[in-house]
Amino acid sequence: MSTTDIGPKGPVGQVGGAVVDHIDHRTGAKTGLTWFLKRNIPGETSWFQTLGFAAMAVFGLQAVTGIVLAMYYKPDPASAYSSIQHITNDVTWGWLVRGMHKWGASAMIILVFLHMARVFIFGSYKYPRELTWVTGALLLVMVMFMGLTGYLLVWDQRAYWATVVAMNITASAPIVGPYIADVLRAGTNFNSETLARFYSIHMLVIPGGIATFIGLHLFLVSKLGIAEPPWSKRATRARRAEEASARAAARERQPQGRREVSVEPAPQSVTAEAGQ
Amino acid sequence: MNRAQQEAYRRDYAQAKKEGKPFFPYAIYKDHIVAILVFAGIIGMAIWQRVPVGPPVYTATSTFEPRPEWYFFFLFQMLKIFKNQNALVPVIMATFLVPNILMVLLVGTPFIDRRAERRISKRPFALSVAILVFIGMAWLTYQGETGATPTSGGAVTFTGITPGSSAAAGQTVFDTEGCTSCHMLKGAGGQVGPNLTTVGTKNLGVDWFVRHTKCPSCVTPGSQMPPFAGLTPTQLQDLGTFLNGLGTTYK
Repeated sequence: MSTTDIGPKGPVGQVGGAVVDHIDHRTGAKTGLTWFLKRNIPGETSWFQTLGFAAMAVFGLQAVTGIVLAMYYKPDPASAYSSIQHITNDVTWGWLVRGMHKWGASAMIILVFLHMARVFIFGSYKYPRELTWVTGALLLVMVMFMGLTGYLLVWDQRAYWATVVAMNITASAPIVGPYIADVLRAGTNFNSETLARFYSIHMLVIPGGIATFIGLHLFLVSKLGIAEPPWSKRATRARRAEEASARAAARERQPQGRREVSVEPAPQSVTAEAGQ
Repeated sequence: MNRAQQEAYRRDYAQAKKEGKPFFPYAIYKDHIVAILVFAGIIGMAIWQRVPVGPPVYTATSTFEPRPEWYFFFLFQMLKIFKNQNALVPVIMATFLVPNILMVLLVGTPFIDRRAERRISKRPFALSVAILVFIGMAWLTYQGETGATPTSGGAVTFTGITPGSSAAAGQTVFDTEGCTSCHMLKGAGGQVGPNLTTVGTKNLGVDWFVRHTKCPSCVTPGSQMPPFAGLTPTQLQDLGTFLNGLGTTYK
């Protein structure tokens, strides 16, 4: 199929091919990638089935803009606020990167919820994709925690007091609540260590968790395959054929029906259609 | 789904895959078109709606709004529904029980609904749940967006407060420390915390209000109110005098 099959390869092509073969022989990377890209998916997929990829792409965007913001941000109560001002007012395109990170967070929440609604409406969480749903639901919770921890980092009046209230709510949960709140706040009250702790959770803990669970989620999606929309033409055709053959089988069990079957081969034509 | 239905699904899906198309490029191109549109939307919003820098923490005005990001409004709004006002709707419903029950139901959805049917037209219960959840969350988010605008203090007047008295100073503390963003006085203020218009009739005493303002959860276990430990003893005393008289001395 590829044009390299015609005539001998140039030196660059030869070296490149040798390197790819060397790596593939030891890792299976090329074979795996070819399998991933060339594997078949159902013929009729909906545009609504692009929302998960979009959410993942926005996660990538958040990672890149987050890395840029981290180059200028200072997770210290004395200088956090002024470093946000510096990013917004002084750094070249800093306002744009900060704006993209902020709006990207909202976009991600919306996409994750829309993706969940799509999976629910399509019934895609049913057998065999139950665990794909579970990993997705945990991703949703992690994305919400990302919003909660990131909100404090701007260290302005509203963010500060909203997070104080959120921590009070956490602390009021029975039995483990106070301990979780103490771990998050780095103490029994909001203090100067709290910001650094939220920074670490927002930058390292949850992104690590999200990346891991996106990996699991993608592994399951590619292993189990993309769900077919339940109202696709092929599924409807298969369902009709199944119902027709069930009717034919029921008819055959009746004494009158047996005569009809011997005259016209109705069940055979149905099987032939289903096999197309 | 029983074993036979699972087998049938696997057979049917294998057939769908056999008749299907390769992932690259047929799914990937759609994914990228949508992702590029989303990126364009994000960049557009970042340019069109600049993200401002709010007032820093601990400023002199100290009117604060304890409002979360918009996507937490549905949880935040629940605090106003379950306000610890009586035993039937304890605040723990909003802070712990309802969110955690919803989370367990969310994670457990595939184990609760095990029927084989996937067409939404044949799943009326699932469709009604989806519609109810959507309407509920949209309504709570809308209420959280519009209902939480704190009214600035000073508009509310009480009879019986003489200018220059401790209670007058207490009312100033109440207005300037942003108490009205959560608490209501004579119909003005927020709804996150209890209405304090007649709180004095509970006969709690000035000292109780001083202790409660310094550390609310120490005095009222489960309280979500942030501690105002930064107020001076005089300010706390004035605020306590003002609150303790509401509905009794000051009407």
